Amino acid sequence: MTTNLTKSFDVEQPIDLVWATLTDPPQIVDCVPGASLTEQVDADNYKGYVGLKFGPVKAGYDGLVTFVERDAVNKKMALKGMGIDSKGKGNAEMLMNATLTEVNGMTHVEATMDISITGMLAQFGARLINDVSNQVFDQFVNNFKKKLATAGIESGEAPAESTAEESKSGIGGFIKKLF
Amino acid sequence: MTQQCKTSKAIGGMGHSIKRKEDVRFVQGKGNYVDDIKLDGMLYMDIVRSPYAYAKIKKIDAEAALKIPGVVAVVTGKDLEQYNLHWMPTLMSDTQMVLPTDTVMYQAQEVAAVIATSRYAARDGREAVRVDYEPMKPVIDPFKALDPDAPVLRTDKPGKTDNHIWHWEVGDKAKTEEVFANAEVVVKEQMHIPRIHVASIETCGCVADYDKVNNHLTMYMTTQAPHAIRTVIALVAGHVGLTEEKVRVVAPDIGGGFGGKVPVYPGYVIAIAVSFLVGKPVKWIEDRSENLQADSFARDYHITAEMAGTKEGKILATRFKVLADHGYTDASANPSKFPTGMFSIATGSYDYHTAYMEADAIYTNKPPGGVAYRCSFRVTEAVHAIERMTDRFALEIGKDPAQLRFENFIKKEDFPWPSPTGWIYDSGDYEAGLRKAMDAIGYDELRKEQAEKRANGELMGIGISTFTEVVGAGPSKDFDILGIKMFDSAEIRVHPTGKAIARFGTKSQGQGHETTYAQIIAEELGIPAENIQVEEGDTDTAPYGLGTYASRSTPTAGAAAAIAARKLRDKARKIAAYLLEVSEDDLEWEPGKFFVKGAPEKAKTIQELVFAAYTNHPQGMEAGFEATHYYDPPNLTFPSGAYICVVDIDKETGGINVRRFVAIDDCGNIINPMIVQGQVHGGLTQGIAPAMYESLVYDEAGNILNGTFMDYLVPTAVESPNWETGHVITPSPHHPIGAKGVGESPTVGAPPAIANAIVDALSPYGITHLDIPITPYKVWKALKEKGAI
Repeated sequence: MTTNLTKSFDVEQPIDLVWATLTDPPQIVDCVPGASLTEQVDADNYKGYVGLKFGPVKAGYDGLVTFVERDAVNKKMALKGMGIDSKGKGNAEMLMNATLTEVNGMTHVEATMDISITGMLAQFGARLINDVSNQVFDQFVNNFKKKLATAGIESGEAPAESTAEESKSGIGGFIKKLF
Repeated sequence: MTQQCKTSKAIGGMGHSIKRKEDVRFVQGKGNYVDDIKLDGMLYMDIVRSPYAYAKIKKIDAEAALKIPGVVAVVTGKDLEQYNLHWMPTLMSDTQMVLPTDTVMYQAQEVAAVIATSRYAARDGREAVRVDYEPMKPVIDPFKALDPDAPVLRTDKPGKTDNHIWHWEVGDKAKTEEVFANAEVVVKEQMHIPRIHVASIETCGCVADYDKVNNHLTMYMTTQAPHAIRTVIALVAGHVGLTEEKVRVVAPDIGGGFGGKVPVYPGYVIAIAVSFLVGKPVKWIEDRSENLQADSFARDYHITAEMAGTKEGKILATRFKVLADHGYTDASANPSKFPTGMFSIATGSYDYHTAYMEADAIYTNKPPGGVAYRCSFRVTEAVHAIERMTDRFALEIGKDPAQLRFENFIKKEDFPWPSPTGWIYDSGDYEAGLRKAMDAIGYDELRKEQAEKRANGELMGIGISTFTEVVGAGPSKDFDILGIKMFDSAEIRVHPTGKAIARFGTKSQGQGHETTYAQIIAEELGIPAENIQVEEGDTDTAPYGLGTYASRSTPTAGAAAAIAARKLRDKARKIAAYLLEVSEDDLEWEPGKFFVKGAPEKAKTIQELVFAAYTNHPQGMEAGFEATHYYDPPNLTFPSGAYICVVDIDKETGGINVRRFVAIDDCGNIINPMIVQGQVHGGLTQGIAPAMYESLVYDEAGNILNGTFMDYLVPTAVESPNWETGHVITPSPHHPIGAKGVGESPTVGAPPAIANAIVDALSPYGITHLDIPITPYKVWKALKEKGAI
């Protein structure tokens, strides 16, 4: 199943800093809930892991993140992620496009995300995926803004596994109770 | 039209509502199902399944699984390949993987089996097996499966260049085209009869018990057709030494089959293979999701339906074009001559002589099947098409759908009636049925009420379905499964004290055979039904038969029971003549005894005659009191029904309330009215299911989106309306006891009655058709599109 998200947000930081952070895998992965980098393959390809919980289903994706586009002049980027669940429950694909524009010394970010999910997660989590993806995206934006606000300060915290039900809706918890 | 009982209540022959003998154990929790079987040293199997609809298997890594305490083996397709057991035939002579060696073809397909000393360890092992896949783009939309650029799925078949399985057609194409070209009125709808699942209470499973010393396999399994399965096992595994005399299949109590327990699933074969290799019993029991996602589905017919007629409302011709989505292999259970089963019954209950039907079956990346659900033979699809189109035609010309039906019915004096597609309908009185249903529901008043409600903008609908069924497969000249003719059998042994055991080639899954077969024998032989023990399901003891599905047991094995009992009654007459010292012609039968004509005090009871067969039989007569009969029906039976449904629809929410549902069935002579009523209630509930709730939904990647009971909606008592039932009886003229079979009818007849009622409610807004399941959302959306809300 596929889901598409479109988000825009403003960051009170100069565009060059935002661009540099957004195109630096170790920094950006730090902002994705439940994600970690395991290996840099080359300049454009990175291996990583994302742990997610969709209601009753826990998925852990070993994946490859690829920069398809990093246009520093036009401040456009495209990031492709492909992950396979470590227990064979299915796979996930994500294509993120982001465009940065400068507005009064601040940065405006337009982002779209196409997510496609196959396997157990698609079966059980179909109706949750939109909500959870939205929420994960929001968390990412918050983390990203925080990171920029405290730019230069090293965050030693390990990425936590994101759980949908602990942070937001009761849906996940409700489903969990059913099982 | 009411049926008189010929036997006393003590004998309990036909027409008596005697309580089901099998319920004594079921209501006490003493049923014996496959999962109740526990054997010494038994191992447990669990199955790793594919998360993808279409993928290459790059690697199966069992290392972590094998480290789990209790896990003894992980079996893959490569392991089975060594014994040539990785492929098996389907009942339609297609082929199916037992376990894949390189490619998976649908989500939830079996990929590997984990064998362990406990069920828990097996499940833990399953979770630990790591499979690396390379996903491929699947074929999901059946309408795109034949596109030139669609990937060819069955590359295992040499020379296969597309996803087409077979083409079938029947009827007079040229004449049909001519009638349609000249017809005053032509109506047409595109409809989908969705993919659904039997969702029986008990899932599938088995215990395969191979005895190495004696080279003998006992297979306890959830099967509706144990004898056919034994033959299939011998055909698949004969080359490794499991020839048919070395195989015993036992079907113990079964918790619902509905066709879903006819096919051979890979799990059964893997369990046999593992037991064969390790010499220990192996148990496999599916969980609910596995059952729902991987076992044979039913239906999935896309039908382009057309009807031609006159402005006055005379039906002249019908034309149906079917696209059948069979998933990855054709695993239906149809007779080989009839790849669409009995779909050609789709000309319905109406008197016209021109029809043409064609069907094309295709492969997609979905689970295999096409079988099952209280009609494996596609009568449900056929009845839906014709009954929807009959209403559509009535709507087009502005005629009351009941009136239009009366004007088109085949008349009761016209039976036997040859249908334009080649069937010979045996008997029926369609007019009486519809009249009775209309009287029961108060049809004319309802139409008045509807007119008033419409004037107020309220949505109320009345739907009719007057269907003709075709069951009792079947005459051996036309019907076979894998070449085995579809007769069925009964063997009656009466013990010296006049009590009997009777065995059959069929297998009850809840139908109540232990009671109804006993009643048939009681009717013919006068031995009380309570003294007749019925046994089925053990191939070592029961006579060969093709099993229980598609309402075939009463028409075939029930007939065999009656004829075997009559053979015994003939013998009893000879013994009575000998004991009473009269000629056979001087004897008269009344249920339970022979007496001398004009001297009723000179009589011998059946019990005395049986005792004499063992103690004092005439010279030259074979001793004992046993008979067997293999019944090959001369024709199919054609039950029918007139169903009327009334719905109220909430315009704001689309919510549908089935206010009333009257079902008048004609299943011929009735063996046990209480059991028939139970069958009808169950069948009607399984009719409301696809009409309003059930459909297996796949996304474009082949993910099943409702693979659990959280999302796949099975109606419960809460959703079921109060079923109002009744009967018209036209006995089948060719069946020994005039019975026709009833299990399928309500499931076949109910969906169009409900769909017709809903469309009738919505018709003032220009809505002419909605595909089932008709959900509140679908209704709301249709009303919204038409600007009604």
